Amino acid sequence: MIEDTSPPTRHGYRPDFRFGNTLVEVKADLHSFRNFRAALLQLAYYLSDDTDDRGLLVLVNPRITEAALRNEWRLIERALHPAMVRRLTLAVRRQSGIIPIAGNLKPALSKRLLLDNADRDARVQPNRAPHSSDAILLVLLNQWFLRKGPMTNQWLMRAVGCSYPTVAKALRRLQDVIQRFPDRRFQLWGFPTDEWNRIVANRERAHPTLHYADRSGQPRNAESLLRRASKSGRNDIAIGGVIAARHYHPDLDLRGTPRLDLTLHSPDGHADLSFIEGLDPALERVTDKEERATLAIHVLRRQTSLFVAAPKGLPWADPVATLLGLYDARLEAQAKEFLDHLVMSVG
Amino acid sequence: MSSLPARGVMQQVAAAIPMECRGEIIVVGSLAATYHFFGSDPNAVITTKDVDAMLSPNALALRNAKIVAESLFEAGWTLREDAQRGKAGDRSTPEEELPILRLHPAGNTDWYLELAAAPPEGRAESKVIQRLSTSQGDFGLYSFRFLALAEEDPLRSEFGISYARPEMMALANLLHHPQIGPEVVRGSTDKRSNKDLGRALALAWLSTERDRDALETWHPRWRTALERRFPKEWRDLALRAGKGLRALLDDKHKLDLDQATRLCNLSLLRGRGLGAEALRATGRRLLVEALAPLESAARTMPGA
Repeated sequence: MIEDTSPPTRHGYRPDFRFGNTLVEVKADLHSFRNFRAALLQLAYYLSDDTDDRGLLVLVNPRITEAALRNEWRLIERALHPAMVRRLTLAVRRQSGIIPIAGNLKPALSKRLLLDNADRDARVQPNRAPHSSDAILLVLLNQWFLRKGPMTNQWLMRAVGCSYPTVAKALRRLQDVIQRFPDRRFQLWGFPTDEWNRIVANRERAHPTLHYADRSGQPRNAESLLRRASKSGRNDIAIGGVIAARHYHPDLDLRGTPRLDLTLHSPDGHADLSFIEGLDPALERVTDKEERATLAIHVLRRQTSLFVAAPKGLPWADPVATLLGLYDARLEAQAKEFLDHLVMSVG
Repeated sequence: MSSLPARGVMQQVAAAIPMECRGEIIVVGSLAATYHFFGSDPNAVITTKDVDAMLSPNALALRNAKIVAESLFEAGWTLREDAQRGKAGDRSTPEEELPILRLHPAGNTDWYLELAAAPPEGRAESKVIQRLSTSQGDFGLYSFRFLALAEEDPLRSEFGISYARPEMMALANLLHHPQIGPEVVRGSTDKRSNKDLGRALALAWLSTERDRDALETWHPRWRTALERRFPKEWRDLALRAGKGLRALLDDKHKLDLDQATRLCNLSLLRGRGLGAEALRATGRRLLVEALAPLESAARTMPGA
């Protein structure tokens, strides 16, 4: 049976789960040898601290072929110590099932991988890009709320990271709320209520969020987590949620700060979450929506973060990401108040 | 297991120690921890029978132990009866067979004071025994190597005697158990390593309860203490301090962590109903925020 527990962290990394004496790392949609080698080496480092455990790297729907992986494995056999190679197993999971590439994959583990954990871990990877039409709407809204003025197709394509036909299609869909100018620039002229409601209803798609909860019984407050985040030296995270909402709307009717929301800019889909251990090693990822999270990480996949610089410390997430963070925290009343404030500010 | 008022016991121990030795004794173990965290609560209790006190420095320990022992005998304190090693030894008793000096207060067998000595400097043995000759026979005065850390900047109780800092007791426990060993606590089936490593987690948990950032303040004090107490080998010790804890948190030792949790819930963490997951999370904090910086300092070569 899979022991669905998180192994301890070593060297700033921990595999996804343990099955007997095998530590399993699951990577979904891996598309480069560089990332494959990094994942394998990370697992090998981890194993080197222990003499008994074995390691299994499972690639879910990789864009590398099985033949190419076998060739790569031959290079790995030449490069790594034979004692380490003997402890490593590589497998691929595709719709057709589990395909062993190298090493010894136990049937029981193979069966289990098919059933649950690999699927689960693949699902929770925040590496799938949201629909471009959603991303386009969020950028349009953001520019409108911040009164940035009209934009060009080129600018929007670069901001979102999409093609001209995608932008054109999205703008056609939004034509009722788009104002076009003679120089071909455009902007929103009103709030697209229906489109926004659709975004909010499907916000996991437009604005994927990872939740973390304290496991020690001594949760750190949002301010403490923020102070640590500010020291992380990362330039790809910004403050969102309640703290950012108060920045944009100081009169927000809410006492206290129930959790810290951070927006992580991850245009290539490889969300580096290593800083979370520095915020609080007692945090663990939770998927049960009923569980109270003390930290929420919103993964932003568009090309341009649109973070708003702060005089010191971390930048602010944009107002729209901030607003979606309030919905995610189930602060519907505050979200509505903040939305009204943003719409009213546009005038 | 008895429940003793922590503040009252600290006061009674302090009052019983002759004035000339009061500055040279450090309370360690359960009483030190309970007094530190709950001393202001008149209802705070310790749940063990033994109250451990260490005579420091080592150079004066034997002399002071004799003074303390004779003073307690005179005040009516009585030897704890022990089926195995109840009687005092004599000059012919080999040192390793001498009983530890354990004394009940006059007219009270609820608890006993156990005397130990600070370890001699430069000795690498985990345990050293010195012969303590008293009017009631010979006893073994034990020194545990890593309890040298308890001598580091001890805290002063309101009753004038000192007690060990929680973080120093935690480090001593961590160093004492680089692995989950088979040795069991006398009179039980509980592993000694689980009890002591669990104690380190309990001390971390209680420190964090007071101040969520407390563990980050531990490693500079740990480093200073290790450098001062073990100047030639502090780097090695720093690098191995987390080994036992890492083993305890490993899934292979799930049952050991369960046992450590149960023991914590019977003692320092009583009434909190914490599960193993809470201690595991506390262990992660301890590893990342206290042990990792210590290890990092140990890996940095001098002058680098």
